[in-house]
Amino acid sequence: MSRTDTALEHGLCTCLCCHQLMRLPPGETRGRCGRCGATVHGRIERSLMLTWALVLTGTFLLVPANILPVMTVIYLGSGEPSTIIGGTLELYRNGLWGIALIVFIASIAVPVMKLVGLVVLLLQVQWRGPRNPMQSMRVYRVVAAIGRWSLLDLFMISILVALVNMGAIAEVRAGPGSTAFATVVVVTMMAVRTFDPRLLWDARYRRTAESSGLRDPVGGGGDG
Amino acid sequence: MEQGANDSATGWQQACHECDLLLGNSSAPPGGKLVCPRCAALIHRNPARSIHYTAALSISGLLLFIPAATLPMLNFSIIAFGSENTLLNGVFSLFGAGYIWLASLVLFCSVIAPFFRFLLLAFISLGCLWGALDRPVARAVRWYQHIKEWAMLDVYMLGVLVALIKMQSLGRMVVESGLYCFVGLMVLSNLTLLSFDQQSVWRRMARRRAATQAAGNGESSGAAS
Repeated sequence: MSRTDTALEHGLCTCLCCHQLMRLPPGETRGRCGRCGATVHGRIERSLMLTWALVLTGTFLLVPANILPVMTVIYLGSGEPSTIIGGTLELYRNGLWGIALIVFIASIAVPVMKLVGLVVLLLQVQWRGPRNPMQSMRVYRVVAAIGRWSLLDLFMISILVALVNMGAIAEVRAGPGSTAFATVVVVTMMAVRTFDPRLLWDARYRRTAESSGLRDPVGGGGDG
Repeated sequence: MEQGANDSATGWQQACHECDLLLGNSSAPPGGKLVCPRCAALIHRNPARSIHYTAALSISGLLLFIPAATLPMLNFSIIAFGSENTLLNGVFSLFGAGYIWLASLVLFCSVIAPFFRFLLLAFISLGCLWGALDRPVARAVRWYQHIKEWAMLDVYMLGVLVALIKMQSLGRMVVESGLYCFVGLMVLSNLTLLSFDQQSVWRRMARRRAATQAAGNGESSGAAS
């Protein structure tokens, strides 16, 4: 596939909402989908800039989210605020390692993986195209699919706050870290939405075009 | 701007939404799915009787929302002191404690977004039967695409399970009827993800538009002759 057959090259673009193909009026970079009414661009506008901004915000917020306590369990008047990591360790120490693993994956591994994955994808687009675009697409899809599961910890807090509410005997209170953590989740979910995976393929074709001066373009190592 | 789905000059009718590869117009066989040959993105899934199933599932989801949101889900007791939890209860507690942003996020993801998802699906799958509702239905499909990923009933369910196990050492935890309704709601919500296919809504609209146009042409030609 030495020539790209992308819609953009043919002056067409696809509506990300209803997947209808349409032709933009010449000279315009955006239009309105005639079928569903969504705004249509050839590529998501300022995708890289927005994604970088949201990824950086998420990275910075990860610090307070992990340092500040997310919840305090007070039992018979005593109890210490616990952070996300502390809560996971406590579950592990109590022998509930299965639940500890779930909470660890959802609230520690997933946000970090998401941010690292997005940074890798952004660098691949901006530096030199991905060597194996299928692998990048797999990263993109995993990042897009796992994002929502990090809200697990917050839902648990909201359940416990209402459930364990017996004044002096037992009480669960939310902590300021939970606000930061909620923002991390929302910001990273938005970052995935603003990232345009089609840019990966554009970058890949730029890369093969550059190297085609030296040798024949490889027929797409990732073409499945 | 051209409205037609096809670009007659080139014959391309579709492009992959994840890698922008141009494709011919091919829709998946009934019950099957179509993936992009280059990036393996899911282009189209064609579940059988999509609109009917979606209508049934979303209306039952809306009905099941009433008990799931009002009945208590869990009951926690230490010695003689007990308290119950409903879907909205936790949100109010967080709100009362001053965590407004957190409370509104939980409210949005566990109540508002799932509810609107069911409502929009019911509206889309019933509204596409009438030509007069074409524009609102198109808008509803667009909103559905935006709200889809924020409905997190399954994540909430896992949160309930974690809370259940975590607090077992402190006191007695009893599962109540609301939780069973909630499980049903979650199952319905995931089934609608499988059953809903927006392309069949668009196809139905296009068919009807073609039919009314043909009827209009027939009338006008009849009047002319």
